[in-house]
Amino acid sequence: MSNTNITQEDIAAIFPKVAATMADALGCDVEKVTLGSSLIDDLGAESIDFLDIVFRLERAFKVKIPRGKLIEDARGDLSESQFDQGGVVSEPGLVRLKAFLSEVPAERFKTPVKVADIPRLFTVETFCKIVLRQQRAAAAPPA
Amino acid sequence: MDGHFRAFTFVDRITAVEPGRQIRGRYTIPAGVAEFPPSLVAEAIGQLAAWAAMAFLDFASRPVAGLAGRVQVHGGALPGQTLELAATLDEVGEDAVSYGGTAHADGRLLMQLEHCVGPMVPLADFDDPAALRERFALLCGAGAMPGGFPGLGPLPLELGEGEPGRTARADFTVPAAAPWFCDHFPRKPVFPGSLLLHVNLQLVAALAAELAPGRWNLREVTDVKLRAFMPPGERLHLQARLTVLAGDTAQLVVETRLRKRLIGGARVALTTEGER
Repeated sequence: MSNTNITQEDIAAIFPKVAATMADALGCDVEKVTLGSSLIDDLGAESIDFLDIVFRLERAFKVKIPRGKLIEDARGDLSESQFDQGGVVSEPGLVRLKAFLSEVPAERFKTPVKVADIPRLFTVETFCKIVLRQQRAAAAPPA
Repeated sequence: MDGHFRAFTFVDRITAVEPGRQIRGRYTIPAGVAEFPPSLVAEAIGQLAAWAAMAFLDFASRPVAGLAGRVQVHGGALPGQTLELAATLDEVGEDAVSYGGTAHADGRLLMQLEHCVGPMVPLADFDDPAALRERFALLCGAGAMPGGFPGLGPLPLELGEGEPGRTARADFTVPAAAPWFCDHFPRKPVFPGSLLLHVNLQLVAALAAELAPGRWNLREVTDVKLRAFMPPGERLHLQARLTVLAGDTAQLVVETRLRKRLIGGARVALTTEGER
């Protein structure tokens, strides 16, 4: 699932609710939650917080967010072995990842990027896009 | 392994189960225990949900305490009562189970859990999969002999300096040894998250005693989050802070730290309305 047709206006429209949801999950002031905030490095999120955030976003926006799917979507049509080479994202994988996480500043992709460290790149905007993609998937007519 | 399936087990019988979807069961509180606090009623519902999740995943993984969105307390459980337990699993995955549930006794609703999430861990790291499989079959069949829980025993808080009526602080040392470690869990003894909630609620009660006169009852606990396992012997720092006091309602935030790291938190609502 790509980022096509997700505009900044779309993101801005849902950001307040995403920010409030994340602030509730993280126990922080909502002012601290900006689009560019990295969940781990800026907001101090741990693995339990990721679960909390995902389940709260599902309830708030009435969507399902399959948790393994983000990496799968970032991979695109690359196979797992083409994307993940011994736990490190491959060169073609990195090109896909940067395109998929277009909201993440380029300087944050410090090579080599370990697959296990991909969540460290996620920002609040990443989750706005996740919600929008899932809303659109749910609204799309069945294939 | 004397305490296994006895010392901290709160499901005696599973009366109906659709693995991964819903489950009903019961637990008889031993008549001889001094109390059966709300945190253990929540633990019982969580254990029931865990059986449904483990059976669905063929006992490869088990959930541990993680998140509880809302714990509504409608009444207290008494020694000798039989809890009728029910849980509905919204989702069971390799990483987590989400569920809600209820506990009734004598036809009366005692507790409702909503939006609970248990992160999954490899079952064999915590317990013997074969023993759990056998236990599940027993619970779904004739049921287990009730009466294994010996009671909590003392869990003393070392009260520290707080601001009267606003903040209460205490240190708590996880016991180095206790009967329930045999059960929680045999291969990796850790202080149960429900007992962390229990000691936090004891601190809340101490702070509530300083509030405007009234008999304060626990109404609900929300936003419960547990971030780390607590091995035996760890020293925890607890804080309860009043955030709202309005008429017959008080709201507090509780936090638990291990050294400087925040490892647990919850919001607590008290009321003076109604006897519990």
